[in-house]
Amino acid sequence: MQPLIEILEEDPAADRAMLEAIADWCDRYTPLVALDGDDGLFLDITGCAHLFGGEQAMLDDVLARFGQQGFDARGAVASTPGAAWAAARHANGRIVEPGGEAELIAPLPLVALRLEAGVASGLESVGLRVAGALMSAPRAPLARRFGRTVTLRLDQALGLVPEPVSPRLCPPLLSVERRFFDPISLISDIEELTPALARQLQGDLERRGEGARHLELQLFRVDGEVSRIAVLSSQPLRDPRLLGRLFREKLAAVSTSIDPGYGFDLVRLAVLAASPFDATQARLDATEPDKSGDMTLFADRVRARLGVHAIARVRPVASHLPERAATLCAAPAIGVAPSMPDRERPLRLLEQAEAVDVAAAEIPDGPPGRFRWRNVSYQVVGAEGPERIEPEWWRAAGAERPRDYFRVEDDAGRRFWLYREGRYGAPDAAPRWYMQGMFA
Amino acid sequence: MAQPATAREQLFALRRQIARIEGRIEIPLEAPPGRPAQACAAAGLEDRQEVGATLLRRGGVAASDLAPLGAPAFDRALGGGVPRLGLTEIHAAAMRDAAATSGFALALVMLMLGDRLANPVLWIATGDFWRETGRPHAPGVAGRYGLVPENLLFAAAPRPVDALWVAEEAAAAGAFAAILVEIGGNPRDLDLTATRRLHRRALLAGQPILLLRAAAQPTPTAAPLRLAVSSAPSTPRRTLSGPLAGSIGPPAFHLAIGKSRTAIPATVTLEWSHGAFQERPPRAAFSGAVAPLPADGTDDAPAFRQIVAFAGARHAAAGVQPPREQYAAGDGARRAG
Repeated sequence: MQPLIEILEEDPAADRAMLEAIADWCDRYTPLVALDGDDGLFLDITGCAHLFGGEQAMLDDVLARFGQQGFDARGAVASTPGAAWAAARHANGRIVEPGGEAELIAPLPLVALRLEAGVASGLESVGLRVAGALMSAPRAPLARRFGRTVTLRLDQALGLVPEPVSPRLCPPLLSVERRFFDPISLISDIEELTPALARQLQGDLERRGEGARHLELQLFRVDGEVSRIAVLSSQPLRDPRLLGRLFREKLAAVSTSIDPGYGFDLVRLAVLAASPFDATQARLDATEPDKSGDMTLFADRVRARLGVHAIARVRPVASHLPERAATLCAAPAIGVAPSMPDRERPLRLLEQAEAVDVAAAEIPDGPPGRFRWRNVSYQVVGAEGPERIEPEWWRAAGAERPRDYFRVEDDAGRRFWLYREGRYGAPDAAPRWYMQGMFA
Repeated sequence: MAQPATAREQLFALRRQIARIEGRIEIPLEAPPGRPAQACAAAGLEDRQEVGATLLRRGGVAASDLAPLGAPAFDRALGGGVPRLGLTEIHAAAMRDAAATSGFALALVMLMLGDRLANPVLWIATGDFWRETGRPHAPGVAGRYGLVPENLLFAAAPRPVDALWVAEEAAAAGAFAAILVEIGGNPRDLDLTATRRLHRRALLAGQPILLLRAAAQPTPTAAPLRLAVSSAPSTPRRTLSGPLAGSIGPPAFHLAIGKSRTAIPATVTLEWSHGAFQERPPRAAFSGAVAPLPADGTDDAPAFRQIVAFAGARHAAAGVQPPREQYAAGDGARRAG
């Protein structure tokens, strides 16, 4: 027994989360990162290796950084996922030259071909103990007896059958990044850096004739944590100054939740969605400068800081029910708006109609003489009504009752909008009174 | 001991400068280059000359920047009217009176810029304030005040400090006709510094910012004007055959000046009807006459707006806002009962 061993319960969910966090961090090498089982990652480094000084330098860098973070990692580079998997797990990790796959896997045990344990032991029982033996064995009997997986895995490892690696995250349309020898940790530094990164993006966006609608700032911490800060724009944007202002609001909002720790050594700005950018032409005879752009930018900044629902417009809905007639929505109204009701409507509407205590109405279908709302008693001196609004039977299940609305005025001059649900003398249930809104 | 003439002249000039700063004298003022001439004319200036005319400065504010409410004695106490730019505080005694402040503020916005409302109005509040007092209801806003939904933008902020930030940024963007900020109680962030920043931004942008405060103690702020608003009992609806008994007419507000540049206390009861305020005595002294009585007995009652029959045509074309005179047709008086 080893007394220093610390025993922990297995926690597959936490392991998974850790693997995903590591995959996030590996975004710094390539945008195409895929999970492999419970303990592996595939990195598609096609076209990326030269950025890190070649394959060997890149592999060394990956393993060195994992070592610094406290992980015991093995890695290999090969032309096929299968060969890389085999090299990393069973050949002590190395660079497999293109064409060297057969030479690599020939001496390896069968599990190096990603075969299931049952299949592998079945093959071993007939004397096929290494992958090289499989390669020289006749294929048709193998496939017939042990399934097509055996030959498929072999062909995948050798590159005879293509094997796509599906990345976890959608690769960005465009991205620019900056690496730091000395990690940065101040939010103000990141704020200043964002317009500089956006300036690098500007040229690419112009070439594509597009503007960014959804951007993500990825902050790679030295110890492997990745923070992602996304901003959305309601119009395609290219101007680095404007993008910088959007990110400044977002950074101000999330600055408490970002922990810089030992600092960020890689900051990347990625465009996740873009749309065609139409250059607007100013009117030659305009007397006042066009302010609509200012308003969109203002709305985007408020949304970046306070959330998507912070700015809202009214969307009129064709409904008699007042609580449905005008809802607030973030997107501007599209199409022809239904006409507003021609009746007198309150200035403020409670989000949820509140129950009101009414001792008795003077006449059964009339307005209340007194009512009690939010623990305050009101004396009604004037009333108009009723205005009957029927429930929308084509929407609801039919449990609602018709409402009779009254405008009432109390002795201090406050004007309220009350309604009575149901009617007196109805067989099913007693009527209930509700407060729904206030008039000026 | 006689003072030298130059020293006396210098002293006189200094006194005059102080008086000008304090707004105690009316002095001619050159028209600012950017201001359109009709804006000066619309504000009811004393000297209606052509473009480039001198403006009169009253109470430290150029007369064109004041919107008279239409109640002569009250306007005099205000120093000419409610400022069209800068910060104005509107107080209500309790949260349940928030409808009165917002109704009065909307009426004020329409009075200030009803004819040239090109940009939207931004209405800012904290989310829990709306949960308690109710959200603005667009059909009510459009029906009574003529502010169509296309011209309204709402901002819900989680905290008062965020609401103030949104207001400041909106004033800096300069893309809004007016900004309404609703804040309940006395949050710590709404201090002299914050209101001074708001006031300064609003002055630079040439916009009004109306700070609507419900259930708040009047604390020192940088707003030059503070009005206390409450609902006033309404008069019956006016129909062609006389007042309709038992009905509830146009919204009425009771106003009191809490703080102003002239420091004259005054109260008034105003009724918002047909796109204008009309002064009327409180209901107790109301004789039952249809037309409002003159407030100080020296002037005739203002004539009612002309009623044009455009019933139902109000919102026929979405996005097209008819001129304000047309609202008279659909406004309260005709839809009695």
